[in-house]
Amino acid sequence: MPHPEASPKISSLLRSSEWALVLAILLAVIATAVADANHSYWFEPFESIRDIARNTALLGIFALGATVVIIAGGIDLSAGSMIALSGTTCATTMLALAPLQMMGMKPVGPLVVTIACIASLLVGFLVGTLHTWLITSIRLPPFIATLATLVGLRSFARALCESSTAALTPTKSALINVSDPLFKTVRENVSIPVAVFGVLALITWLILTRTVLGRHIHALGGNEQAARLAGIRTDNVQWFAYCFGAMTAALAGLFYVANESVAAPVNQGRGHELNAIAAAVVGGCSLAGGVGTVPGTVLGAIFLRVVIDAVSKIIKTGADVYEGLIVGIVVVIAVTFAQIGEMAQGGRRLLPGGLGLCAIPTLAILCGAIATMTAGARAGMIATGVAVAFLSFVRLWESRRTA
Amino acid sequence: MDHIDTPHAVVMQGITKRFPGVTALENVTIEVERGKLHAICGENGAGKSTLMKILSGIYPPDEGLLLVNGVEVRFTGTRHAEQAGVAIIHQELALVEDLSVAANVFLGREKRTSLGLLDEQAMTAECGRLLVSLECHVSPRARTGNLRVGDQQLIEIAKALSLNASIVVMDEPTSALTENESVRLERTISRLLAHGTTILYISHKMDEVFRLADRITVLRDGRHIKTVNRIETTPGEVTGWMVGREIASRQFDTPRVRGPKLLEINNLRVPWPEHPRGYRLSEISLDLHAGEILGVAGLMGAGRTELLETIFGAIEPTWTGTILLQGKPVRFRHPREACAAHVAMVTEDRKRLGLFPDLDVAGNVSLCSLTEALRGGFLSRAREESLVAAPLRDTGVKTPGPHASITALSGGNQQKCIIGRWLLTKPSLLLLDDPTRGIDVGAKAELYSLIDRLCRDGLGVILTSSELPELLALADRIIVLSEGRLIAEFSRAQATEQKIMEAATGS
Amino acid sequence: MLFQNRFSSTSLPLVACLLATLAIGCGEQKKQSASTATSGIRRFIFITNGDDPFWDACNAGLIEGATQQNLEAKGLRVVMEKNNGTAQGQIEKLRQFVSQSDIAGVAISVIQAENEAIAEAMKTLATKGVHVITVDSDVNREKFRDARRWYIGTDNITGGRLLGTAAAKILQSRGKTTGGYVQFAGFTDNDNARARMNGFKDSIGEGYHQIDRMSDEMDLSKARDNVRTALVNHPDLTALVGIWAYNAPAIAEVVRDRKVRDRTTIVTFDAQAAAIEQMNDGGIDAMVVQNPFEMGKQTVRLLAAMQTGDTKTVQEMFPDASKSDKPDGDIYTTGLRLIVPDPTADTDDSPLKAEDFTAIFGDTIELLPLSEFRQWLATYGLSSS
Repeated sequence: MPHPEASPKISSLLRSSEWALVLAILLAVIATAVADANHSYWFEPFESIRDIARNTALLGIFALGATVVIIAGGIDLSAGSMIALSGTTCATTMLALAPLQMMGMKPVGPLVVTIACIASLLVGFLVGTLHTWLITSIRLPPFIATLATLVGLRSFARALCESSTAALTPTKSALINVSDPLFKTVRENVSIPVAVFGVLALITWLILTRTVLGRHIHALGGNEQAARLAGIRTDNVQWFAYCFGAMTAALAGLFYVANESVAAPVNQGRGHELNAIAAAVVGGCSLAGGVGTVPGTVLGAIFLRVVIDAVSKIIKTGADVYEGLIVGIVVVIAVTFAQIGEMAQGGRRLLPGGLGLCAIPTLAILCGAIATMTAGARAGMIATGVAVAFLSFVRLWESRRTA
Repeated sequence: MDHIDTPHAVVMQGITKRFPGVTALENVTIEVERGKLHAICGENGAGKSTLMKILSGIYPPDEGLLLVNGVEVRFTGTRHAEQAGVAIIHQELALVEDLSVAANVFLGREKRTSLGLLDEQAMTAECGRLLVSLECHVSPRARTGNLRVGDQQLIEIAKALSLNASIVVMDEPTSALTENESVRLERTISRLLAHGTTILYISHKMDEVFRLADRITVLRDGRHIKTVNRIETTPGEVTGWMVGREIASRQFDTPRVRGPKLLEINNLRVPWPEHPRGYRLSEISLDLHAGEILGVAGLMGAGRTELLETIFGAIEPTWTGTILLQGKPVRFRHPREACAAHVAMVTEDRKRLGLFPDLDVAGNVSLCSLTEALRGGFLSRAREESLVAAPLRDTGVKTPGPHASITALSGGNQQKCIIGRWLLTKPSLLLLDDPTRGIDVGAKAELYSLIDRLCRDGLGVILTSSELPELLALADRIIVLSEGRLIAEFSRAQATEQKIMEAATGS
Repeated sequence: MLFQNRFSSTSLPLVACLLATLAIGCGEQKKQSASTATSGIRRFIFITNGDDPFWDACNAGLIEGATQQNLEAKGLRVVMEKNNGTAQGQIEKLRQFVSQSDIAGVAISVIQAENEAIAEAMKTLATKGVHVITVDSDVNREKFRDARRWYIGTDNITGGRLLGTAAAKILQSRGKTTGGYVQFAGFTDNDNARARMNGFKDSIGEGYHQIDRMSDEMDLSKARDNVRTALVNHPDLTALVGIWAYNAPAIAEVVRDRKVRDRTTIVTFDAQAAAIEQMNDGGIDAMVVQNPFEMGKQTVRLLAAMQTGDTKTVQEMFPDASKSDKPDGDIYTTGLRLIVPDPTADTDDSPLKAEDFTAIFGDTIELLPLSEFRQWLATYGLSSS
């Protein structure tokens, strides 16, 4: 099957699908500006820009790691737990080196902070190595290996937090407060995480497009057997990819701690690995491996955060209830319609057979339920009706086409 | 199924089947008498499997008629064919390893109780009966994956029998069997024939064919060549028909100059624990000089690819024996080591093992020599383009440009790209595994010239191929592998297609 | 699976459609609730710490307060936003409100008193002109006092002391002069939890020792598991103390399940509907109940006053605000009640008498038998407090 856009030409800055994302982001912003009753984007853009920029940077840092892992043909489900472990490691190290200052909420000094950050990144390296070992030597599928660390690392982080606070402070605690002014500076200045994200994106882009290692990563993800037979040490390439993934998650964990002024392994970053994977996939990565770009992931992260902010602005109260639903729908739509062309070519149908018939009421009820919850019963019925009509039309059109 | 009184259980008339880029069958007609064993013989790619797949309903013919028991049929799928009484036992067994024997035998046609639940008892009993009649001593409840290949094959046969198939197609059934199991199979076949079943038997083993068959059909290049009664012919004749094309002698006139010894292999043995015979290759000894092309002939499964993979280090080095490269013993653990020693291998099945669909042409060609495309530590597009320009030109790749998608190129051009990739590593030993498979005639000729030129430049080449004329045209010497052993060696002068085929088929 | 040009032509309209649908849908919603920003309606937001029936009672108070203060006429609305039990959730919400321009006031039950980021976000809101107060759970008053103007809530230390006193009296009436107790809460380092637990410990007396403080992170099944663990690890456990609202039913159920009710004393905070039933069945010995309904009502009263510049009301609520010798002048205490089981045919009157408590605590404390409490609930249509 032809891939006319397989390698980005340097002459054209972005692939066409990425320009499409840019357009989608702009449309989303405009739609929100209009639909928001306060027109907050219009009257007070800077606050929202700051928020979105901060959240995009935090997401983007470990979305870049997810991108490298995915292009290499793997997957890392443990990023959220790595964030928790990294934050806990940093706080625990600071607590161990400067217990009085930490407990008194006083500054611990830049040296201690530096050591703590290095310790967190080192833990990231160890976790990445663990993943690689499980995948290449034990031959666990990446899904299983990172699923195990998804649950294991968070539990480990909690145990670490509780035992270190029990040993170093009067009471055992499930969290460690961090109030060092360095972290405060990071929290207050959006430009810091954004700058770090920018630099990391540039480095990642350079590695992926302009180094031998990057080319090997693409080759490994595209065809693992052929890569090996072409003389590429696939184990080492995977080692790099998984360590990069874990260390970017560790770096993100440090920013999470700064952002929340606490290391709270119980829930910090829980579920966020899926946002990173979603950003990568919306930005053009293929989960089969071998395909993906840094600009795509960056745009994907921006798009995701813009949509989430849109939900908060439009559904003013209780927006986080709907956030997951909207993000899920957006990701499905984004990837489905990238495949529509292939499906049409291959003669595959969107609503085949008995399954397709059952899918029509399922999707229609889903639409209707969402509409009812957000806008009332009348809107719900309209939405259901429209969905049924539209899907039935699609089915009839398909069956006529292939008959 | 209606029975119109006719002596022919199966008639395939004027069958033509085309696939993208190749005509697999061209106007083939055969008539199979009921209750007889009808052998189908031919080289790899002659069309035997395709013909049988049409008969068993896997795909429909593009042209032609199919009559089963005198009634014209157009099968819509294997179930349809099974209902008509046709069952096929594939060369690659199609069993679900984690299910029991009985479950596999009745897969898709499970017996149910009156409540609609699975009737395990009935299936186990019936399966037991079938197995006994086949002299198979496994329990119907045994896990299929744990059984020996020979027993698994019998289960496939049991499956066919449980269908009450009156026409059974067997595709190279003894390829994975021991002596004893083959004998047991032959007894089963006799019983089936006595019962009135019609058997179509694909094989290239002349001894088997001549023991079992009543009639023999030979296909070549998708065409029907001859159908005779077994008693009226000899193995030699049959192999002659199998290969009997005009030996299009595309000889290379000037003899090549032989350089110093490049490769020496002594008593190579590659173990194969799961297989009854225990080895993939045994007692292989050969040598190769620079400037020489050594052809490796043999049927599928003979061990040609394994030989090349062993030399290249693509498999775990559990082999015994010695491999000497330019006089020094080597034992490569990873293709990287072979690469560093200037050994290159162009694998078979380029789509699965050779191409990177997400990289462009330049990316595919430069992959093994990326360090030469660096400028200031980073990959430079300009340097990459100039790096690949030479191999693209030398191999004659026709491409819109170095940044075209590799999947848009034709098979021949893709293969040239891969050869180009390896040429950039400046190999002294080049291993080519069936390099012209799936490539059209024109491109093939270009590849032959290329290989010849490379050899004259001083490379040593080992070339495996299923196409005998190719080997005869290119190779200076030809060795023949059969079932993991080196059966024969011919110089170009001595070799003929017939001789090679005879050696390969063990007759 | 590989991105093609199709994305450009098909997904854009779809994304636009999706957001347009949301927009239309929410436009409808606003029409239905008859308030749009173009007509200048501004909102008071109440951010809880988590999701608990306690907040439903508070919500009822908010609604009552809205009616009493006639918010609609003043162009105001009050809305409750339930947090997900994490600090990040509250930080994100506060930041989101900074970027929305129709917020007039925010009341928040702070989930982690020591958390700087929450305090900073509150301050940022305040600098924007939004009125920020804390309710039910305050920030660390030493460090972050300037993050909010006022605090409405219970004095949790007093609450803890009240329960501890009650517990001591009950234990003594049962002839147990010594023994160990375990306290169960959601987060043991949450400010109000800590205050209650410390208050309890201070007032129960030296005869009894605290064996452990167990936290369940607002996970209801873990709350039960903690009780089971405590019962198994300390077979001679004398008393169990529930600090957060949902700990009460968890303790009562597990204790009944294990059939150890007769040798344990159970005292709890807050009155979830389930806990009320359990006290009715004899499963709980005493409850100290806050008044979330009142908290909600007073929240609206205060925020409305702050918004409309009604200094008189503010002065009424916080008379000691400007007095330098009264450092707690920024606290408005909503009352505490001690609920005891009704006397039945089989049991004597409860050993707890109102007189004893007013002596210690003054008349901010009310002692009520269960039936009276239930009547009070019914008048406001509440099932819990």
